[in-house]
Amino acid sequence: MQRYGQAPVYIINTNAERTSGRQAQLSNVAAAKAVADVIRTTLGPRAMLKLILDAMGGVVITSDGNAILREIDVGHPAAKAMIDLARTQDEEVGDGTTSVIVLAGSLLAAAEPCLEGGVHPTVIVGAYMRALEDALEVLDRRCARPVDAQDDAVLRQLVHTCVGTKIMDVHRELITQLVIDAVRLVSQVAKGTTPQSREVDIKHNIRIEKVPGGELSGSRVLRGVLLNKDVLHPQMRRRIEQPRVVLLDCPLEYKKGESQASVEVTNEQDWDQLLRLEEEYVQQLCNQVIAVKPDVVITEKGVSDLAAHFLAKANITALRRVRRTDNQRVALATGARIVSRPEELQAADVGTGAGLYEVRKLGDEYFSFLEECREPRACTILLRGGSKDVLNEVERNLHDALAVARNVLRDPRLVAGGGAAEMTLRQGLLERAGAIEGAAQLPYRAVAQALEVIPRTLAENCGASVIRVMTRLRALHAQSSDPPMGVDGITGEVANMAELGVFESYAVKAQSIKTAIESACMLLRIDDVLSGVRKKDGAGGAQESGGFDRSGEDAGNEVG
Amino acid sequence: MTSLSIDGTRTSGSDVRAQNVTACLALANVVRSSLGPVGLDKMLVTEIGDVTVTNDGATILNLLEVTHPAAKVLVDLARQQDEEVGDGTTTVVLLAAELLRRGNDLVKTGVHPTSIIAGYKMAMKEACKYIRDDLSVPVERLGRDCLRNAARTALSSKVLGGEMADAFSNMAVDAVLATKSKRENAFGSGYTYPIKSINVLKCHGKSMRESALLSGYGINATRASRAMPEHVSNAKIACMDVDLRRAKLQMGVQMLVNNPNELNRMQERELDITRDRVQMVLKAGANVILTTKGIDDMALKYISDAGALAIRRVPKADLKRVAKATGATVVVSFADLSGEESFDAGLLGQAAEVTEEHIADTAYTFIRGCKAVKAATVLLRGPSEYMLDEMERSLHDALSIVKRTLESNAVVSGGGAVETGVSVFVENFATALGSREQLAVAEFAEALLVIPKTLAVNAALDATELLASLRTAHYVSQECVDEASALALLERLGGGAAVRREDLRHYGLDLSTVSISGGSRGRLRNNFAAGVLEPAVSKIKSIQLATEAAITILRIDDSIKITEATMPEEPES
Repeated sequence: MQRYGQAPVYIINTNAERTSGRQAQLSNVAAAKAVADVIRTTLGPRAMLKLILDAMGGVVITSDGNAILREIDVGHPAAKAMIDLARTQDEEVGDGTTSVIVLAGSLLAAAEPCLEGGVHPTVIVGAYMRALEDALEVLDRRCARPVDAQDDAVLRQLVHTCVGTKIMDVHRELITQLVIDAVRLVSQVAKGTTPQSREVDIKHNIRIEKVPGGELSGSRVLRGVLLNKDVLHPQMRRRIEQPRVVLLDCPLEYKKGESQASVEVTNEQDWDQLLRLEEEYVQQLCNQVIAVKPDVVITEKGVSDLAAHFLAKANITALRRVRRTDNQRVALATGARIVSRPEELQAADVGTGAGLYEVRKLGDEYFSFLEECREPRACTILLRGGSKDVLNEVERNLHDALAVARNVLRDPRLVAGGGAAEMTLRQGLLERAGAIEGAAQLPYRAVAQALEVIPRTLAENCGASVIRVMTRLRALHAQSSDPPMGVDGITGEVANMAELGVFESYAVKAQSIKTAIESACMLLRIDDVLSGVRKKDGAGGAQESGGFDRSGEDAGNEVG
Repeated sequence: MTSLSIDGTRTSGSDVRAQNVTACLALANVVRSSLGPVGLDKMLVTEIGDVTVTNDGATILNLLEVTHPAAKVLVDLARQQDEEVGDGTTTVVLLAAELLRRGNDLVKTGVHPTSIIAGYKMAMKEACKYIRDDLSVPVERLGRDCLRNAARTALSSKVLGGEMADAFSNMAVDAVLATKSKRENAFGSGYTYPIKSINVLKCHGKSMRESALLSGYGINATRASRAMPEHVSNAKIACMDVDLRRAKLQMGVQMLVNNPNELNRMQERELDITRDRVQMVLKAGANVILTTKGIDDMALKYISDAGALAIRRVPKADLKRVAKATGATVVVSFADLSGEESFDAGLLGQAAEVTEEHIADTAYTFIRGCKAVKAATVLLRGPSEYMLDEMERSLHDALSIVKRTLESNAVVSGGGAVETGVSVFVENFATALGSREQLAVAEFAEALLVIPKTLAVNAALDATELLASLRTAHYVSQECVDEASALALLERLGGGAAVRREDLRHYGLDLSTVSISGGSRGRLRNNFAAGVLEPAVSKIKSIQLATEAAITILRIDDSIKITEATMPEEPES
C-alpha cells in the first residue's frame, strides 16, 4: 500500500507532449518559417531545383513548391498545416504554390514582434483579416488589368512568365506554344458565366504523355489521342486514313457470367459442343462488331486470340486493355460512343472524327496515334526528353502553365509580375494603416511589410543587392498608384514589368494572398499544442517525426 | 489504510476527493484559455500525425486521452452539453470544475458532502428559475436580429468570428430557417428545425469569406459516365438503394444446367435483368438516377442514351436527404405486391434542375429547386483541411444555437451577464437561508463567477475590478439600495453613458476588439443592446449539467482500482 497524499495524479496520457502559451505560438511561427525557408530558393526565374530522395528510394527533382512539400517528411503539426496550403493552391489555381508558402511564412514571421509586444492574438487575427479584405480591394482596383483572353499574344505573355520560372526555360517558346495550342483546342464556353470566360477541363481533356528519348523540341500537341499500345495482331493495318472507330468497354472473348454455374458433362459430344459454343459466341461478338464496318476497334477489356483472328480477317485493327480514361478521351476526340454490348452497336456509335490512325515507334515502344481529328474536345501533349526525371519535372511545369492559361480564360485579368503587385498592395495597405485604431494597427502594418517578401526573395535568388533594390522599389511605389515596377528575376534589377512583359494571372495572385493570410490566422490563434495524444505504448516521443505515416509519398513518380 | 482481500488498490476519504478534484481542475485548465471571444485555439496531434485545430471544448476533451476516471466524467459532461445544446461546452466544464473545487474546500472545513450536495441542488434550482423568470427575454419581440445575434455570439469565440461573424451568422440563420418544418404529434403542433438536414460541403481553396449558402442540395459525387449530360432541367429523380450491377445469384446458390446452350442464356439473362430494371426506371420518367450502390457500365449506356444522368455510390445519408427534399421515395427493391418487378412514377422526386459543377478540383452535383422541402447546403471554403474542419465545427455550434433559440423562444444576454446576475441572486438567497446548506449555496454563487472572471482574464483585462463593478451593477438591479451613488459609479465605468436601472440586469463585459485593442482596462456595457445573446435554454442546461456532474464526483468517497488481471493459464479449448 502506498500513501496517496504524495502520489502524482495522472489525468491525461503521460506521453502527450504539451507546449502552451507564448512558447506554442513561437514554435508554430518557427516551424512555418522553416518550411518557407526550404522552398524560398525555388521562387522566380533563378529558381534552383531540389533533389528529394524519398523513403522508398525514389528520386524527385523539382522546383515545384507543391511537389517538394508533398515529398518532405515533417513532424511539426504547424509545418504540416503549411504544407496543406500548397495543395490548396495547387488544386484551386494550379500555380503559385511556392509564393503562397513563402508569403505565409513571412506573415507569421511578421506577427512575431506583435506577439512579443503583447498584442493579443485575436487582435492580430482581426487585423490580418481586415488587411486581407483591403488587400483584395487594392488588388482589384489598382493592380488588375483586364485583357482579352482570346488574344494569343496576351496568353503567350502570361504563359511565358509562368514558364520562365521553370526548368525548361530554354524551350520557353516551344512550351508556351504547346500550352496555348492545347488550351485553345479544348476550351469551351462555360455555362452560366460571361461570354468572355471559357472553361478548360484540364484534368479530363488534356493528357500529357511522356515518352523518354528524343529531345524536348520533339514535343507537340496532338489533335487527338496517343495510346501506349501496338496492334493486336501483326497482320492488322498500322496506318489508316479517316478511320472509323468503335469503342467498347466489354471483352471480346468468352467470359463466364457473374452467377455461379456448373456444367456437368456426361458424354463426349457435350464437351465438344461446349467448346464449339464458346467459339461461336466469340464469332458472334466479332460479327456484331464487323457489321458496323469499323477500321479500328478499341476496348477497355481483353480480346482473345480467336477474336483477334476474326477481326484481322475482316481487315480491322484492334487494341485491347486501353485505360478507361484514355478510351473516354478517344470518344471525345473522335465522336465515337463507348458501347458495352456488341449486339447493341449502331452506326451512330462509330466515331469518324479522326483523320489518321497510325502506329509509330518512339524509342523502343510502339504507340498508336489517333490524330488530325476534325473537332477534338480532348487532346494529348506528347512530351519527349532526355530522362524520366526531366520529363516528370517538365510535366509538373506544364501543369502549372496549363492551369495559368485556364485561369486567365476563366477570369481574364492580369497583374504585373516580379513582385510589382505585392509592392502595390504593400503601399495600399500602408496608406490605409493610419486609419486603424488601437493596437490592431501594428499587425496591420506587419501584413504590409510581409508582402515585401516576394520581391525580396526574387532579388535574393539572383544575388542582387537586396537593400538597394528594395528601397528603390519602395520609393517608386510610394510615388504613383500602380507603377508596374518590380524585380527583373534574371538580373535582379528594378525593371518595368509591362515592358518586360512579365504578367501573372489575377486569380493566382488573389488566391495566394487569401490562402496565406487565412492560414496564418489559423496558426496564430493557437495557444496550446498537444501532440501524440493517442500514444498508447511507452515508446518515447523522441522519434515522433519518423513516426508520421508517409505512405503514398512516391505518388509523384507514378504520375502517368 | 485498509488492505483488501482482492488484488487492487483503494483510496478513500479525503484522499480520493482531493485526487478527483485535482484531476478535474487540471482538465478545466486545458480548455480555460479557449473561452470567450478572445479565447484561443488548441492544436491537437494524434500519434499518427493527424492535426486538429479547434476551439470547441467538447472536441478538445474528446481528443485528449483522458485516463482519470473522475476527469472522464467531465469529458462526458462536455459531450452531453454538445449533444443537448451544441454550444457552451467549455463553459460547462469550467463551471463544474469550479463547483468541485469549492465543494472540496467546504468538505475540508468539516461540512458533510451530503449537505453540500443538497445546497448545490437547491441553488441550481433557484438559479434556473431566476434565469427563466427574470433574465430571459422572449424571442418573438426581437425577430430575426435576435437570431442573428445569438448565432454571432456563438461564433464570436471561433475561427469564424471577428470580421466574418456577420456573414456566417446570417448564413446560419438562413440555413436553419430553410429547414423549418411542421411537426404534429401528441405534444401538440409546432415547428421543428432539423439542422441535421443541412448539408455542409467542405472544399479547400478561395477564402473563408467566399463560403456560401447554396440553394439546393449538393452531393460530393459526379455523374457515372462522361457521356451523360452535365445538366438536366425538370429533373425527375429516382432514389435507389438497389444494386444496378449485373444481376448475380445469391452467395451459395448454384445453377445446374444440362444443356450447354443454357449457359449462354444465363449470361444473357444476367445482363437483361439489369437492363430491364434500368429501362423500367427510365420508362417511369426518371431522368436522374441516384443509387447508393453500383451501376454496371453496361447499364450506364442505356441511361446516357436516354439523356439521363446517373450517380452511383451516393452516401446513404445524402440519398435520404435528397429523397426528403425532392419528395422521392427511396426504393430498396423493385419487387411489388404481385411478386413482379415494377417501378412506379410516383416514387420519383422532382426538382427544377440537376447540374454538375466544378469547385476547385472536385466535381459536385447540385439539385436545385427541390419540390418538397427547401434544401440548404453550406459550402465552406478555406485555406486548408484543418481550417475547414474547424469551420464546420464552428458552424455546427452556430446552427445549434439558432435552432435552440427558435425552439426555446427565449434569450439571455451573454458576456458574463447571466452568471453574475444569477450569482448575486443566489448569494442573496443564501443569506436568507437558515439551514446548513447556506454555505454550499453561497459557494455555488461564487463559483458562477468563474465565467466572467475567465472571460476577463483571457482578454487580459483587469478581472478583479471589472468583476466588482459587474456585481454592483447586478446588485443594484436586484435590490433596492442607495441607487444614486451606485449608478454614478457605474456611469463612470460604462464610459459615461446614462444608465437605467432596468437595463442593469443585461450588463456584462465588453469584449469587443475595439475595447481590447484600445489598451483600456476593460469596461462594462449593456450586452443585450450590444447584441450579445444566448438562448436561455443553453445557460439553464449548462448550469444543470455542471451541477449534476459536480455532485456525481463529490459523492465519491472511495475508489477501488483492480489491478489488471494477469492472464491465468490458457483455458483448455
